[in-house]
Amino acid sequence: MTPVDLQELTAMALEEIARADSLERLDEVRLRYLGRRDGLVTLAGQRLRELAPEERASFGQEFNRASGQLRSALEARQRQLAAGEEEQREDGEWVDMSHPFRGPGQGHSHPVAGLIREIEDIFAFLGYQSVAGPELEDDQHNFQLLNMPPEHPARDSHDTFYLSPPAYGWLYRTHTSPVQMRAMLASPPPLRIIVPGKVARRDNPDPTHTPVFHQVEGLCVDRGVTLGDLKGTLEYAIRALFGRERRVRLRASFFPYTEPSLEADVACAVCQGSGCRTCLQKGWIEILGSGMVHPAVLRNGGVDPESHSGFAFGMGPDRIAVLRYGLSDLRDLYENDLRLLECF
Amino acid sequence: MRVSHEWLGEMVDLEGVEPARAAELLTLSGTEVEKVTAYGVGLDQVVVGEVIGLRRVEGSHHLFLAHVATPGQEPREVICGADNLFVGALVPWARPGTSLPIGVEIGRKRLRGIWSEGMLCAPDELGLGSEHDGVLILSPHDAEAGMPLDRVYPPDHVYELEVLSNRADCLSHWGVARELSALLSRPLRDPDVSRPARSASGPTVRVTVDSSADCPVYLAEILTGIGNTPAPAFIRRRLAAIGQRSLGGIVDLANYVMFEVGQPLHTFDLNRLSPPEKELAVGVRRGRQGESIACLDGVTRELDPETLVVTAGDAPQAVAGLIGGEASAVGADTGEVLLEAANFNWARLRSTSRRLRLRTEASSRFERQLSPHLARAGADRFIHLAVRHLGATLGPGAEGGAPLAPAAAIRCAPRRISSILGMQLSSEAVANPLRRLQFEVREAGPEMLVTPSPYRTDVTTAVDLAEEVGRIIGYQEVPGTLPPIHQAPPLEALAEPVARLASAACRAAGFSEALSLSLVSREREELAPRLIGDLAHLELANPLSAQLGSLRQGLLQGLLLSAHHNQARGQDRVRLFEQGAVFWARGQERPEEPWMVALLDLADDSPEDGVSRLRHLMALIASLSRVGGGGAVEFRPVTWRALHRTRAAEVWAGAELRGIVGEVAQPVADAFDVRGRVEVAELRLDGWLKPGGLPGHAAPLPRTPALVLDLSVAVPTRALLGPALQAVSALGLPWLELVMPIDEYLGDQLGPGLKGWTLRLRLRHPERTLTTAEGDAARQAVLRVLELEVGAKAR
Repeated sequence: MTPVDLQELTAMALEEIARADSLERLDEVRLRYLGRRDGLVTLAGQRLRELAPEERASFGQEFNRASGQLRSALEARQRQLAAGEEEQREDGEWVDMSHPFRGPGQGHSHPVAGLIREIEDIFAFLGYQSVAGPELEDDQHNFQLLNMPPEHPARDSHDTFYLSPPAYGWLYRTHTSPVQMRAMLASPPPLRIIVPGKVARRDNPDPTHTPVFHQVEGLCVDRGVTLGDLKGTLEYAIRALFGRERRVRLRASFFPYTEPSLEADVACAVCQGSGCRTCLQKGWIEILGSGMVHPAVLRNGGVDPESHSGFAFGMGPDRIAVLRYGLSDLRDLYENDLRLLECF
Repeated sequence: MRVSHEWLGEMVDLEGVEPARAAELLTLSGTEVEKVTAYGVGLDQVVVGEVIGLRRVEGSHHLFLAHVATPGQEPREVICGADNLFVGALVPWARPGTSLPIGVEIGRKRLRGIWSEGMLCAPDELGLGSEHDGVLILSPHDAEAGMPLDRVYPPDHVYELEVLSNRADCLSHWGVARELSALLSRPLRDPDVSRPARSASGPTVRVTVDSSADCPVYLAEILTGIGNTPAPAFIRRRLAAIGQRSLGGIVDLANYVMFEVGQPLHTFDLNRLSPPEKELAVGVRRGRQGESIACLDGVTRELDPETLVVTAGDAPQAVAGLIGGEASAVGADTGEVLLEAANFNWARLRSTSRRLRLRTEASSRFERQLSPHLARAGADRFIHLAVRHLGATLGPGAEGGAPLAPAAAIRCAPRRISSILGMQLSSEAVANPLRRLQFEVREAGPEMLVTPSPYRTDVTTAVDLAEEVGRIIGYQEVPGTLPPIHQAPPLEALAEPVARLASAACRAAGFSEALSLSLVSREREELAPRLIGDLAHLELANPLSAQLGSLRQGLLQGLLLSAHHNQARGQDRVRLFEQGAVFWARGQERPEEPWMVALLDLADDSPEDGVSRLRHLMALIASLSRVGGGGAVEFRPVTWRALHRTRAAEVWAGAELRGIVGEVAQPVADAFDVRGRVEVAELRLDGWLKPGGLPGHAAPLPRTPALVLDLSVAVPTRALLGPALQAVSALGLPWLELVMPIDEYLGDQLGPGLKGWTLRLRLRHPERTLTTAEGDAARQAVLRVLELEVGAKAR
């Protein structure tokens, strides 16, 4: 055997490696050429000692090169074939990956409950704690301590559900403000609380009313709290809720439990303030009532209005949800239609 | 309330103030302008024509042909569909080429072979209100043929105002003008209230007020020689602009004064007040049982001692402040009137108005605490106008009630106003807006003494003054700041974090969040499964309907209604949860308000699938309790009303019953019109879960291998796993870390009445590997206890 023969043998082997179409066939090729005992290339290598010493060096080099070439060709082909077989196996396990696979997944938030959590989080940044209070109240806490004596005209807008028998004196709270009073009576200032919860007013259900709805009340009582602080707080909260660019305006109003009293409007999202059906051509949408806590209310809550002052505000997350999500009927919020809930 | 821009302009200079600007100023300062409507704008092209001939168009039932003339012009023919025309009528005539303010171009039109030269207009077609009953007929007092219509109806804008409930003073043009005068810093021109000397002759009047608490002031004035001729054009036009119909000169004048200065007036026909006497005795007293009065609106109303009445010779003539009597009403032939300008107790009026279910322009002013000082201004203004325009002569008058106390001065430091508003304001900056509001401001050392306008009943304290200063300066001028933090805020953002936890857990498990009204139908809720057993519902005393007549005792009836709603709209799988307060009666005591969560899983599937959904629900309950710090829960099989007889369990944590879980009984699902198997749970969370706070104790991970043994036994078909596992735990086997079921065999290879359990035991020694012998001993011990507990046999 000469180096030339060896080259021919190698070329044949390489061709057979390339032709081998399974790992099994490839192994046959390997054994034929590189088999430890009778592989053709192995046997050629054993001829080395028959050669003259001067030929040995060059033949040895040639042999090493050829067998190295074959080994790497075998390895490469083996990897190739193994990958192909894995592919085949996976091909056999085909599934339709375009199938939308509607499985259980996560449940969804109720828009109002979600909004309440968001409002709680916004005020948590400002150091407010979210507290709860009873939904059934007495006239004292719901009205009188909040500067609304019997026959007060402001009670008109608080058409109240009374519990039977009326002699027991229970009513369904008409706002979350009685919790202000409870909080003031329970702990001395400073006080920063937010009170989400259900309230009820005797309104027949229609697109803009449900007899039970939600409010979120806020109260801050401390030394030296000003109307400017109320304004800054509301502007922060409203921008956090409605977006940084949304215009806000404060307008004088009247509530018996605050003085001065203000309402906050945001620019209508539909018309950007130019007037449309959503905002009843006003350009603005009322979202919140607020004011400096009336000195009489502070006093009723055991807070000295000479040393402390405070502000309070109340908003309706149901209404805000309707505005923010572009809904048209408040009653839809209480039907729990999954087609609506799944948007949140 | 509606006010006219043109009318306001008489009391405050509005030159150069666009209606939109005035509306914005009023809105921001508290008197919200809901709408501004143009009234009579662009009427210069419309001309006043006289109808000189009128006939029906031949062959038409409803069309008329009018001959309309203006001086110096040939009469023209105009076809008109209105049936209120007559010969001699003065009418607005839009001739061909006119464009009307509502955006209509008028042309020459051929109708039934006749050329119609333009159109005779109804009020709405001219932008003069919404009336479309017929052509606007102009009074010869106001108009003459040939005049452009804008001479009769000068351009105006009408504001629709939402006046705050404490601002009775703003329920008039004068009041709104006072606001605009302060906001624009332009002088106020008060209405002319000058009046002539009284004539001494004629009848006299005496007033007796029983209680000045009921009626702080009652002014009675006699006017003689008054003619009930139409009020002057400007008065009728202004009344029309704010939507008031003309009702004759005397009544129009009284209305005009009410809308102008804000004081409700009543005019009695002096000669109809019975009995006619030399001196008329007018009284204000409570009604008597059995008395009644026939009112102006044709309704006879019963009086009682809670109702205030105005009497003449002790006979009721009016329900005070609400409505007059028919018998003494002013009519076409009235020549002498008794004018009433009074103030009545607001609270009494409110309750009377509510009891009689009657609200009038007058009562709605009184019940908002109208200032008694207005009565004099109202009376004098009427007298001024009646003398001037209706030819009246002022006769004797009388007063009743108590002397009016002058408005009390408020002592306040400008520094206090600054600190309420959060602005640095000088004394002058505080005094200026107050003076603009017609308040009297006197310096008193570092403080000031402020006397509010006598017409403002809502300003009594320093904080009220701060509001006045703030709203007149404008809240847009207040710099927004944040309150300083003097003390560390609370450590937790949520005082009661359980609601947040439960919501997150339920949503993570695939349940969507529902919210329902807390008002329910008692009958329907009594059908639904509830944690609370037999307890009478809390009922509303004044429900809107029986459907919303009771307070909910649980949450499942709401979820069942929502399940039906969703299923009826094509949802085949409904998973919902709701949390909230429910209401449990405790007699006279404050009702209990447990905080509950309920879950519902509905699918129209096989019984086995129902079981697997039920088990998911139970797994969720167990993990909720673990995460919420409520400890391990135990499910105790039970029969529970409205739940499946054998698929219901109580949820116990420690020694407390916390909830129920199970499958809704089929008849109950049917009653709620829900198809399929409904798996539900209702849990009371308050007093049970206490999430948050510092993290609890965590066990370090073990370093030694566990010995795991599986044990298969045959047990009777209805053997209970819960007690069996508890018995195994109670054994107190050393190193037993966990025992749990891994398989349940329900096939028939074990023989009748038997099923198979495979339990996995996991034992672990903290320091060494356990031996097989130790494992076998544990297995034997477990087998023995299972045999005792549920009659298990190894298999």
